[in-house]
Amino acid sequence: MAPLLTMTGITKSFPGVRALDGVDLAVEAGEVHCLLGQNGAGKSTLIKVLAGAHQPDEGRIEWREEPVRLSNPVAAMRLGISTIYQELDLVEHLSVAENIFLGHEIARHGLVRPQEARHRSTELLGRLGHPEIDPEVLVGRLSAAHQQVVSMARALSHDVRLLVMDEPSAALDPDEVDNLFRIVADLTSREVAVVYISHRLEEIRRIGDRVSVLKDGRVAAGGLAARTTDTKQVVALMTGREIERPFPPRRHEEPAPTTPAPGSGPAPPPTPVLRTEGLARQGEFSPLDLTLHAGEVVGLAGLVGSGRSEILETVYGARRPTAGRVLVDGRPLRPGSVPAAVRAGIGLAPEERKAQALLMLESVTRNVSVSTLARFATGGWLDRTRERQAAHAGTRDLSLSPDDPDRPVRTLSGGNQQKVVLARWLLRECRVLLLDEPTRGVDVGARAELYALVRRLAEEGVAVLLVSSEVPEVLGLADRVLVLREGQVVHTAPAQELDEHRVLDLVMEGSASC
Amino acid sequence: MLSTTTSPETGRAPRSPDKRRRGIPLAHLDLHHVSLLAVLGVLALIGGLTQPSQFLSTDNLQLILTQASVIGVVTVGVTFVIIGGGIDLSVGAIVALASVWCTTVATQEFGLAGMLLCSLLVGLACGLVNGVLIAYGPMVPFIATLAMLASARGLALQISDGKTQVVTVQPVLDLGLPDAYVLGIPPLVLVFAVVAVLGWLVLNRTTFGRRTVAVGGNPEASRLAGIAVKRQRLLLYLVSGLCCGIAAFMLVVLTGSGQNTNGDLYELDAIAAAIIGGTLLSGGRGTITGSVLGVLVFTTITNLFALNNLQTDVQQIAKGAIIVAAVLVQKGRNSA
Amino acid sequence: MRQPRQTTGTSLSPRSSRRNLLFGTAAAGALLATGCTSNENNNAEGDKQAADVADDKPGKEVTIGFAGPQADHGWLNAINQQGKSRAEEYEDVTLVSTEGSNDTAQQIGQIDTLINKKVDVLVILPADGKALTGAGLKAMRSGIPVVNLDRVFNSPQAYRCWIGGDNYGMGLNAGNFIGERLKDTKNAKVVELAGPDNLPLTRERTQGFDDALKNYPNVKKVARQAAEFTVESGQQKMSALLQAESRFDALWNHDDDQGVGAERAIKQAGRDEFLMVGGAGSKRAMQSIQADDTVLKATVLYPPTMAASAIDLARALGQGKGVSGLAELEIPASITLFSAVVTKKNVEDYLPLGFT
Repeated sequence: MAPLLTMTGITKSFPGVRALDGVDLAVEAGEVHCLLGQNGAGKSTLIKVLAGAHQPDEGRIEWREEPVRLSNPVAAMRLGISTIYQELDLVEHLSVAENIFLGHEIARHGLVRPQEARHRSTELLGRLGHPEIDPEVLVGRLSAAHQQVVSMARALSHDVRLLVMDEPSAALDPDEVDNLFRIVADLTSREVAVVYISHRLEEIRRIGDRVSVLKDGRVAAGGLAARTTDTKQVVALMTGREIERPFPPRRHEEPAPTTPAPGSGPAPPPTPVLRTEGLARQGEFSPLDLTLHAGEVVGLAGLVGSGRSEILETVYGARRPTAGRVLVDGRPLRPGSVPAAVRAGIGLAPEERKAQALLMLESVTRNVSVSTLARFATGGWLDRTRERQAAHAGTRDLSLSPDDPDRPVRTLSGGNQQKVVLARWLLRECRVLLLDEPTRGVDVGARAELYALVRRLAEEGVAVLLVSSEVPEVLGLADRVLVLREGQVVHTAPAQELDEHRVLDLVMEGSASC
Repeated sequence: MLSTTTSPETGRAPRSPDKRRRGIPLAHLDLHHVSLLAVLGVLALIGGLTQPSQFLSTDNLQLILTQASVIGVVTVGVTFVIIGGGIDLSVGAIVALASVWCTTVATQEFGLAGMLLCSLLVGLACGLVNGVLIAYGPMVPFIATLAMLASARGLALQISDGKTQVVTVQPVLDLGLPDAYVLGIPPLVLVFAVVAVLGWLVLNRTTFGRRTVAVGGNPEASRLAGIAVKRQRLLLYLVSGLCCGIAAFMLVVLTGSGQNTNGDLYELDAIAAAIIGGTLLSGGRGTITGSVLGVLVFTTITNLFALNNLQTDVQQIAKGAIIVAAVLVQKGRNSA
Repeated sequence: MRQPRQTTGTSLSPRSSRRNLLFGTAAAGALLATGCTSNENNNAEGDKQAADVADDKPGKEVTIGFAGPQADHGWLNAINQQGKSRAEEYEDVTLVSTEGSNDTAQQIGQIDTLINKKVDVLVILPADGKALTGAGLKAMRSGIPVVNLDRVFNSPQAYRCWIGGDNYGMGLNAGNFIGERLKDTKNAKVVELAGPDNLPLTRERTQGFDDALKNYPNVKKVARQAAEFTVESGQQKMSALLQAESRFDALWNHDDDQGVGAERAIKQAGRDEFLMVGGAGSKRAMQSIQADDTVLKATVLYPPTMAASAIDLARALGQGKGVSGLAELEIPASITLFSAVVTKKNVEDYLPLGFT
């Protein structure tokens, strides 16, 4: 049987990163083709190429054995390719029916026909097993699961031949997942092809026909039988990177004291700097007791949505906990107050650097000094020379390139932008550093520098709490690793006792397969 | 801690980046201000050609600066708010309310100081309400200040009963007359100059100014950098309210009266002046110098047109055209 | 020395104006310089033979709806006051006022509300006469007679009676007054500080002024700027005019309210070589004319008492009566008020009519 879609040699580069490197993929009508791969393996880029949102640098795409160009999303839709992204792209202030027919409104002579749109929406929602969703209601009022159904109804409202679903089950509870699978089965019985992306191997076993594994922008294995391929084999394909991760050598196993005790006497026990007691946020993560020692790097491993970033932001006071508290040096912090956390010596390098950390229009100096302004001021009056010198000294120390404190940060590369954020907290002499995906969007060379920097900070006595989707990064940097699944710590162990397979098993299957 | 560590580059003389610091941003700002100065130059040229004796005289310079002073002070406050990522539509109404409140018969009994104090307090109070609603309440700046616009105008109308309240306090009246000029500079112009210079210093040389820019440029990043964003927002509306209070008293001195129609459309004039002065409406960037030049451009146009006996319709068309032109120039410069 | 043309202010004598109308007793105070400034019983002289003439005695209950623009400056404020206080004087009149609005759509809505309330008579001072014609028509068709105050509707069908000032006449009288004063000045220069250019009344005033000046070949209007009826704009535009014209002989300012700002500008410029004529007739302007200590020498009336008269007309309409002083059984379809020129000579008579 001829494949519905064939992609050959797809290559796509972004500045500093080769996201796809000669990917081949063939999808047949009526099959569920699963895509597996770690974060950064290229799955998202691949489906964006498929949706017409990205143009490949090289390679060809054939649709029903005819070469095609997917020059924009409309072109892809015309062929019958619909995509349901992980981040739902619904308009909250429009009704369900309006969302379903957004962009291809049912109209006659330029007048929309809400009656018919409603009618057809009801039909689609019914087919998706959710007749109870009212087409009139605003999408913003629906639960995440129902929003997903609407998203699917939108995809089906086109004459869909190939449906791409990016982690559709992430926001769903088990009942809803069952329904989702029923819908997928219904689609494939009508000869619709489904490209299904998920981290959950159990799901792939249930509905998948074939599996392709992506790794570092290449296909590690294509078209494996989904039901029979061994889990270990799949995990092995996903891990074992070719790109060498230049982790600096680890210090001794034990978290070490900050400074050697002055004078005589034995080395003191590790100093606890930060402690959380039953810290929790309803619906985001369960009560967490965590102690960070000076000079220790603790890693949080888990999937997107497992509560990693939420924990960091709650510790930092950017989110108010629903229970528990955060203590620094034994003193509780005012809950939900960033200034209190900063005063206590906590710093955060957030996940979305541009949106959450940087003043893009401003200079390097001003970005570095923003959390330390009071130090350079007398009665509110800034000593700009001192400010600039201090900031410059900090960025030079991190070998910021180019070494220009007056350059607007928007002109810097991702890695250098991250250095600016770190320089900010170094200038503040923070004692606890929360790092959320510190190497996202950072090229390989700069990664090495950042890794070395994190190590060095720890050696100087800073306590680091690290979140990363890339398991090797967590394992390579952290002394101790907490594995998170659905807001709960499912496993804690020294990094040396874990390996990538084990962590992936833990985060994906939820139960230790030992 | 790390800053003390030496790196191979510390040996480099810090002079060259220093030079660049002085070079690049100033040249950058200058370029923009130069374009506004060029507009002023062209206007002066037109004035000099069409009305040589009237336009290029000390009297007229005094007149232009005086007319610019009231809206100028308001614009300085509005510039702060816009750079901080907000908008203040209530400035005209606050000016009206403060000018009416400080010219009631009862207030006038307290003399110049009482009237001035009253005007400043009314301005601050309105700013406080705006700030609290926006920073700590559920309202977006546009709506909160729109509500303030309506209620301050309404209150001004109620207090004055729609009547013109003529000032009888002689020292207040005297301040607006030529005898009060200091070295040929009208006191109102002096106040404007002081407010503008203070505004410039606060924006460029203080932590308050720096935080204003940060909060306007990226509120989330500012929050996560430990800046008390809400307090900063509140303070910004207080600054704007205070400027309105100052401007209201200046207007009372200028017109010798308080009226509920005072400050008509100041919000639009001030925003327009700030925008053509290079302030980003989305926040995070702007200069006091630009705003002052913007005000001067508008005032000079009005003056020039009146001297040439051109009527209101032509003046308004020209004003609109200049706003569009200024924004186009900015866009062109940004994309270049 | 003065040769009063038919329109100059001082020609307003009690006799000639008595030929105007008397609405019951009360209108006397509204229109006439002389006499009845109080609103008490003066109707002994009224012609009683025309039986159905409105008078002070309580008659049929009348509900009058009043819709005006936002009273944001002195003259309009005076209009509201005049209407309100006149209505209070009658036991048989209930006045239902809407909140003033300058927004056409809003005012239409307010008038609709009054129609729905089934008031007996409507007094409407439209924010914009042309735009509100439909509202007047609607009221008339639903059987509610409309007294159109000042700003006239487009169609006579939209009102039963129009009463208002004479903007053209105002300009004419101001022009003639200035012309007479400058008759002997060679190459006399005149400056005009107009009201808002977007109001038709401003254009009418300017037209009248220009037409009057044509009678005096030695007088030339050299500059004109439009202010906004506000003190602030008056100050601003006047200072520009003063700067533009280093010497002139007379100034006509359309509105005494903006005149506060204009006079302030004149003082600030230290100028006094010209004579100034005001407009509308505020109390402050009249006091200033009386004191004769500034350049302001006269003001041309645009009497807000027309609102009181409108209430009288509305009451008469509601009670189905005519007005005294006329032979007709019905009230007239249109009444144009006279724009008197108030000078130091007659200011005492007009002072009580000045609005604040």
